[in-house]
Amino acid sequence: MNCDEVRRSVQDYVTRELAPDDRRRFDAHLVECAECQRELALMTAVVSTLDHQPVLEPSADFSSRVLGSLSRQREFAPSPWWSLALAPLLAGAAWLARGPVERALETISSRPGLIHLSVPAVSLQQAGIAAGAIVVLGLLVAAGGAVFCWQTYLRD
Amino acid sequence: MFEYVESAPEEALVSRSARGDEQAFGVLVERYKGMLYSMAYRLMKDRGRAEDAAQESFIKAWAALPGFKGESKFSSWMYRICYNTCISELRKKRPEVELDEAMGVGVEGPAEEFRNRDIQAVIHDEVSRLPDDYRAALTLFHFNGLSYDEIARLAHKPMGTVKAQIHRGRALLKARLLERVGWDNLKEVMWQ
Repeated sequence: MNCDEVRRSVQDYVTRELAPDDRRRFDAHLVECAECQRELALMTAVVSTLDHQPVLEPSADFSSRVLGSLSRQREFAPSPWWSLALAPLLAGAAWLARGPVERALETISSRPGLIHLSVPAVSLQQAGIAAGAIVVLGLLVAAGGAVFCWQTYLRD
Repeated sequence: MFEYVESAPEEALVSRSARGDEQAFGVLVERYKGMLYSMAYRLMKDRGRAEDAAQESFIKAWAALPGFKGESKFSSWMYRICYNTCISELRKKRPEVELDEAMGVGVEGPAEEFRNRDIQAVIHDEVSRLPDDYRAALTLFHFNGLSYDEIARLAHKPMGTVKAQIHRGRALLKARLLERVGWDNLKEVMWQ
């Protein structure tokens, strides 16, 4: 190995990435070349310093600031339980609002000069079936959400 | 309520954190804050910005933890988040930053003053002056202990580019060390 080859290989020599044969040839050259010994000493100092960089510590309140940010995020984040409660609540609200909406539509459509709107007639039985279906759907969503919440947030 | 100790297995802490356990995440923050802050500091060269980047990295990790599948080591995953946060910050704004004492020391002065200088401090100082890409690659390789392949994937660069940046970075450091301190002074300090 000549000086040029040694200088090209010196980093791999220091980081032990040089193949064994090349390492032996490197060593053989080193014995008789002061310039390359200098190259090796310098690169060893660089690599050793880079390998032993100290771990620095952030300010004392760093962890509490990080965890404080998480809590604030959580306060503003919608909980899955709220979304579960919303399903039956929305269904109930829609059902309760149906009567006033129908009456309002009838009032509007009966005024002269306005576009006539017709509200389809719904029997008591049909309304009951629709209400039941909405409540069952809400309960199914709630049950699915509860399983999801348990698995995601509450298990062990 | 769960009690955690420093030696709690990382996998359990990660799993509980993913399910929203802040106490478990607090242990992870304690465990990784030094590494992340050091990494951010070496990339950004400013204490305040490094703390902000490290804090942001933990908050991003907290938000992304439910999606963490454990395909890579948690540490590598955290380094990736921190690296991306720092690089993104570096691209946003580049204020002139005064190097402070933890990054290295000023070594301008008469040659005889170099005799007692700490060579490591000079090298740290020169690391902070390297181009961002070189400094990032050297930090990830030597400080974080990532392989060439891991750095290449993290930085979205070919492995050959990463290797070249690391080699050129070290060569620059060696040249600058020699230039600033001089071989006679170095020899005396290194072989004393």
